[in-house]
Amino acid sequence: MATEKELSDFLKSVEKRAWKRAVYAVRDEDAALDIVQDTMIRLSEKYADRPAAELPLLFQRILSNATMDWFRRQKVKNQVVRNFSEYEIAGEDGEFDILETLEALGGPLQSESAAESVSRAQILQTIEAEVALLPARQREAFLLRYWEELDVAETAASMGCSEGSVKTHCSRAVHALAKALKAKGITS
Amino acid sequence: MKDDDRSYRAAARDAMEARFARSVAACLSESAERVSPDVAERLRFSREKALEIARRARGDAEELGVTASGAAMAGFSQSRWWLRFASVLPLVALVGGLVLIQNWQSRTQISVAAEIDEALLGDDLPINAYRDPGFSEFLKAPPSE
Repeated sequence: MATEKELSDFLKSVEKRAWKRAVYAVRDEDAALDIVQDTMIRLSEKYADRPAAELPLLFQRILSNATMDWFRRQKVKNQVVRNFSEYEIAGEDGEFDILETLEALGGPLQSESAAESVSRAQILQTIEAEVALLPARQREAFLLRYWEELDVAETAASMGCSEGSVKTHCSRAVHALAKALKAKGITS
Repeated sequence: MKDDDRSYRAAARDAMEARFARSVAACLSESAERVSPDVAERLRFSREKALEIARRARGDAEELGVTASGAAMAGFSQSRWWLRFASVLPLVALVGGLVLIQNWQSRTQISVAAEIDEALLGDDLPINAYRDPGFSEFLKAPPSE
């Protein structure tokens, strides 16, 4: 069973990223705060007796469910379903050489036209905006896999899909981000 | 040879995708640390509320554990049959007690009446009784069964 300190440390470590994820999904900062609070309370109510190692995956699942609940409450389920099927954005056009772009973007991200012209905050804001523009499933897979550092199997379990789908979503998200950031002049 | 080349290219591509994704994730983490004080405060409040709920949930669970172990020690274990029997037991005791009390009262009344009769019959008959017409009639009447 996770001790109170372990639970507290875990929530502290995850709360800001969780809020950001909810903001990307619902695009409303107050609603995102409510979703994160709801997630923390559900975790504490039902799973406080679980080992600390199980908390990250449980939290991600609950956060996804709480976000879906929010959409249901907003009665925009059809909009969400439509977003979920929008995978067909990136990686399909022959003009875009992803390998070349990925090579260029492999290092720490910064402004192409020198750091002095665009502040770091603006770069981060641009990256966030592009992440927020990803289709919901791609964004979820990308954030769970690379930001929350779940492995492919855990991401699939959290999203309720196959591991193959996770890989596809992640790859498409990476390609879409690389293309969009390059277009905005953000490269290594 | 071609297969090797293809798998090498796929692995290289995966590695580059992962490297790029981690760069983006690092930027997102950096950005997440820059949340406004108001948001940070509301997140802290939510966390403390959740921890309070967890504390209460743990307390309830421990209380339930103590109750269950107490019942087990008393020999009831967790058998439903025993629990049902135990819940009916006080009612049975109450009814039995009432029957006993009624029985005891009835015996007491009989014994008091018997004592009065015995005292009356054992006493001398007053002389005035022979002057009472009703008593004369009683003496003349045949003894009833």
